[in-house]
Amino acid sequence: MRNFILFIRRFFNLILFLGLEIACIMMIERTDTLQGNDIVSSANTIAGIVYKKQSDVMYYFGLRKMNDSLLNENAMLRKMLNRVHTVDTLRDSLVRMATGPEDTATHIIEYANYVYMTARVINNSTNASDNYVTINRGSKDGVRKNMAVISGTGVVGRVEHVSAHFASILSALSTKLKVNVKLKDGTNGLVVWDEKSAGILTMIDVPQQVNVKKGDTVLTNNFSLFFPPDVMVGTVIKTEVEKKKGVQIVYLRSSTNFHNLQYVYVIDNKFALEKKQLEDSTAKK
Amino acid sequence: MNSTIKNILRFCIILLLQVLILNKITLRWWSEPSSFPIFIPFVYPLFILLLPFEAPVPLLLILGFILGITVDTFMNTAGMHACATILIAYLRTNVLSALLPRNLSEYSGQHPSIRTMGWMPFLVYSGFLILLHHIVFFSIELWNFSNIGFLMLKILASAVTSMLFIIVYLLLFTRQNAARS
Repeated sequence: MRNFILFIRRFFNLILFLGLEIACIMMIERTDTLQGNDIVSSANTIAGIVYKKQSDVMYYFGLRKMNDSLLNENAMLRKMLNRVHTVDTLRDSLVRMATGPEDTATHIIEYANYVYMTARVINNSTNASDNYVTINRGSKDGVRKNMAVISGTGVVGRVEHVSAHFASILSALSTKLKVNVKLKDGTNGLVVWDEKSAGILTMIDVPQQVNVKKGDTVLTNNFSLFFPPDVMVGTVIKTEVEKKKGVQIVYLRSSTNFHNLQYVYVIDNKFALEKKQLEDSTAKK
Repeated sequence: MNSTIKNILRFCIILLLQVLILNKITLRWWSEPSSFPIFIPFVYPLFILLLPFEAPVPLLLILGFILGITVDTFMNTAGMHACATILIAYLRTNVLSALLPRNLSEYSGQHPSIRTMGWMPFLVYSGFLILLHHIVFFSIELWNFSNIGFLMLKILASAVTSMLFIIVYLLLFTRQNAARS
């Protein structure tokens, strides 16, 4: 017995060392099991508090980055939402807007030109030769003459008259309104209404060699002072060749259903005035 | 200042330095060969290295265990750091008595530092123990000896970087003779 105690005292350090090492190795072994050891992990309270404090501090340095990523995410979601919107409400076509460039930064800048206001349609006509839509927004809400109006699915028209609380919109179903559009391959043209049917628009003066297929989407182009680009106008239902002039006429089914308009967006183009002034000044010379 | 309080403070400082700052920076010496290991420098074994000369081995072992387990807690590597730290705590006394000319009990009230030991002995002492610590830690961490070159490279690179950080720490936190007078 005495020898044993002497042995212990003599090799106490070594025994303690080996004991602790074995404890460590057992701990390492146990990390592989499901139960693990919760005490020796950063899930425990003290380590958790320290890490929380640290992240509270680091949070501020990351705000700028987070802001950017949120913006990008927002833009992406907006893009996605566009698509979903279209699938839900527009039966005859799947894509309202061709998927934009992958670089979301430019996408944001493009969007920033335009301010969207929501408005409710309170009156609507489809049977006159110049149809008007009345909305519950007026000059007090910032609506001004010539602003573009779109619905969730496509082009609606252009603001014509503004009162304090209301505005009337010259709808696309009108002989006066011409919308600048482009075909899928980028050919530009004008869309007018031929007064025959409420859902059918015509695109005039399309060169004969342009190959237009049934079902192609027609979108607004960048030329317009008021409409943002890439808003859907309609889908091609048939084409007709005018032999005399050597052009073809493209008939479109309007993507907006003018019979049941309820909500529209009024779009304020921030650069419309500047663009118009520039174009007018060059036209005078 | 009392030596105990001083050591407790140093424990906290080194631990926070390790956990909050050094753990966040992943280093690699150069990025050209993509197989070059990435690593983080470990400065925390310095606490064991800087304990007073006459600290008894059992105390060193217990402190090493506590230090290692704390670092493990923060890094979710149950027991690995503790294992390596206990080893260097155990071997510390032997290394010191081999390097120092006089018996350890004659250096009462002092702790190992560049001032008390001189540059070369201290660098050999800390370098040896740090290398040992890294060898044990990375061997346990990888636990894969099929690619021994990678392991060696990782140990070597990490140990050299850790030593650089330790020297910087010592230069920053030791009171210079000039400041004292």
